[in-house]
Amino acid sequence: MIMEKFSYVRGQSIPHAVALLNEPGVRARVLAGGTDLVLLMKEERDVCDRVVDITLIPELHQIRRAGDRVVIGAGANFCEIVESPLVNETAPALADACHSVGATQIRNMGTLGGNVANAAACADSLPALVCFDAVAHALTPDGALEWPVSDLVIRPNQTKLPAGALLTALSYQIPGEGSRSVFLKLGRRNAMAISRLTVAALGRLDDAGRVAEVRIVPGSATPQIRRFPKAEAVLLGQIPTLELLREAARVAVAEMTEITGKRWSSEFKEPALESMVLRALAQLFDAQGAA
Amino acid sequence: MKIEFTLNGEPCSVEAPAHINLLHLLRDYVGLTGTKEGCGVGECGACSVLLDGKLVNSCLVLAPQAGGRDVVTIEGVRGADGGPNDLQKNFIDHGAVQCGYCIPGMVLAGEALLAKKLNPSRADIREAIAGNLCRCTGYQQIVDAIEATAAARRDTRQPQSIEDAKVHEEVL
Repeated sequence: MIMEKFSYVRGQSIPHAVALLNEPGVRARVLAGGTDLVLLMKEERDVCDRVVDITLIPELHQIRRAGDRVVIGAGANFCEIVESPLVNETAPALADACHSVGATQIRNMGTLGGNVANAAACADSLPALVCFDAVAHALTPDGALEWPVSDLVIRPNQTKLPAGALLTALSYQIPGEGSRSVFLKLGRRNAMAISRLTVAALGRLDDAGRVAEVRIVPGSATPQIRRFPKAEAVLLGQIPTLELLREAARVAVAEMTEITGKRWSSEFKEPALESMVLRALAQLFDAQGAA
Repeated sequence: MKIEFTLNGEPCSVEAPAHINLLHLLRDYVGLTGTKEGCGVGECGACSVLLDGKLVNSCLVLAPQAGGRDVVTIEGVRGADGGPNDLQKNFIDHGAVQCGYCIPGMVLAGEALLAKKLNPSRADIREAIAGNLCRCTGYQQIVDAIEATAAARRDTRQPQSIEDAKVHEEVL
């Protein structure tokens, strides 16, 4: 008989997995993609008593439209999201963010829910999800819970998900007609790069060519992933001239520094964020009037 | 615990602890050492295998996750005569193999790409092997080998092995 460090069980359905996670006296952990948990178990000998594998629960992989929202099962892996016509059509920046994760092997394993629940500072999907004002849905033995993703993630590697809760889906409202979205990532190389800085942005012009809607969400920039309302306010209701986009980019940098203070990385991050926000905004608005 | 799965088309049953990874299971419990351990943390792709047809890093898969599923390792990629298949021959012919350590993973990454796309651009090929590090070749010869295989398979569409036959079913 070989000593087992923990037991392995497969969740057959979402309620079954929640039951397995909440058996009294058993310290259980969710295995979604494994790309974080299996590494953690390598580093720490005593992570849990039971691993609940949710990778084969079909409902957790579903990507579907529900009224004016898109609902992505928390167990959908990055490849499934990248290949989803629905996500590409309604949230191209989210598809691009998922495409920028790791390489094929990691994208075949890592899941959207795992990226959110693990909440790494450099998680690529988080700024995109926050940019689409996404909501996280979870199931606990006491019932369903939900939070905006921007509230759920408190700081790197820390979320409001209670112990025993299973993240079941991420959903977002389909942006209005004429919206565009972009995701930009700065890493040391294209594949397998930990993000140094990312920017997710969404924008829409009204019939007069003025900015009707804009959302700017830098990633790997602040402890809590959030929209930058001051930078957004520079643009709202205005004609997006190149000079105005530059101003918004400068304000975004000031907003980052206001939140984090000057850090060892500020000298690098400030000019990088300024040019990334400018580039993102130019991509959102260029063919519609700006330079 | 007992872990039962399909390995390279054959049923496989192994007694192993739940906490080891699939890489360890394949190498040390099944005895198939074609799958290599490079970094052990999911960054180098040397341990790549196909799990239900999808390319994964076997160092990040818990061994029991393979239960009831289909695993293809480099030992399952071969020509009809048991020797190298067309992709593997092209690796040899194009000088894509130097020290060879990354090659099992590279070949599986190539097969995973060709299963989905028989007309990949060079950019597609580069992206497909982006998770596989090679410190010898500089990648050009590997890209050449995959590109040449794609071209030849487009012309013939002949299955090269049992695993390829499945791959071809998906393509067609």
